[in-house]
Amino acid sequence: MKHYLFVIFILFTVKYHAQNTTIAAGEKLVFSASYNMSGLLTNIAEVKMETSEVKTSKSTLLRLKCSATTYKKWDDFFKIRDLYESYVNPKTLTPYLYKRDISEGGYYKFMQYKYSHKDKLIRSLKRKKNKDGKTWEENKIVKIGASSKDIISTLYAIRNLDIHKASPGDQQEFTILFDNKETTLIVKYINKETIDTKIGRKACYKLAVSLKGSDLLKGNNSNLIWLTADKNKVPVYAKFKIPVGSGELKISSATGLKN
Amino acid sequence: MKKTVIILGFISAIIALILSVTPLYNLTILPLVIAFILGLVLFFISKKDLSKPKAIQYIFLLVIISLSLTIYKNVFNTPEVGNVEQLEQRDEENLEDSKEILEDIEIDEEF
Repeated sequence: MKHYLFVIFILFTVKYHAQNTTIAAGEKLVFSASYNMSGLLTNIAEVKMETSEVKTSKSTLLRLKCSATTYKKWDDFFKIRDLYESYVNPKTLTPYLYKRDISEGGYYKFMQYKYSHKDKLIRSLKRKKNKDGKTWEENKIVKIGASSKDIISTLYAIRNLDIHKASPGDQQEFTILFDNKETTLIVKYINKETIDTKIGRKACYKLAVSLKGSDLLKGNNSNLIWLTADKNKVPVYAKFKIPVGSGELKISSATGLKN
Repeated sequence: MKKTVIILGFISAIIALILSVTPLYNLTILPLVIAFILGLVLFFISKKDLSKPKAIQYIFLLVIISLSLTIYKNVFNTPEVGNVEQLEQRDEENLEDSKEILEDIEIDEEF
């Protein structure tokens, strides 16, 4: 009996943890991305994270949209117009459809994942442009794990974690699906820190992010995210190190927050 | 020695000036510092020689121009997003297309 009660308790807490308590439709976060150039940080792009409600005849979903746009002065050198979106269950943040539509300095790529959670697979569609400007498509069915999510819904899922219950050093793994491949993202809670941001002085949870077995985001606490230590867990500041340099992401404005 | 310093000084001062007028103006600092140091070296060399080469004035003039431009750009240039019409169009197209795809999907409360 005791064991059954324990299992019920665990299931209840798992279900409870999965509930979205952080993200609401109508939220808009604007960031400024800067890149380290000869020791000086230069603003290169504006990153927006927006949420909105999408209604179909059968259900209502939450659209999580992230876009990156280079500033005008960089457009002649390297124009970036990236669009990432994920359509998720508003209650659990489980993704149903993911789209990545990127245009980076003449390079164009479109990726779409249509999730089938019951069968644990995704129907992926890749669209690319040839050198002569013609587009070609590739359809694939990819088997995924039960908890695999795209990068956008994972980003929002991190915000939905119960960090206040974690102690420094605790970490959680997320399985990310990127370019039809699964990768493990490790999120480690470091400590609480108060930092100055454009939206005021905020007490924040400092998290370290790393990709397992990848050179892109190495795991020596060099990629950090600061989330406000309140119910909204707004990402206000991020520091990243990639093989070709380092950069920062600073919040410019935050509107439409849930709490 | 003197000739080398003049040539290197001019090259770095010109690089600094070129960089200061481009969006890469943050990179101006390095050639600017080099040009300034070489200008000073040239100044001391010519002091010893008791000669007054015009090159010093030109190098310092270029350094001052590029430094002013860099400072001006750093203070007054607010980053501005370029044309996003195409992105907005792609955004709308994607949304409409997604709505069509999502019509077949029924949210399963188990997931």
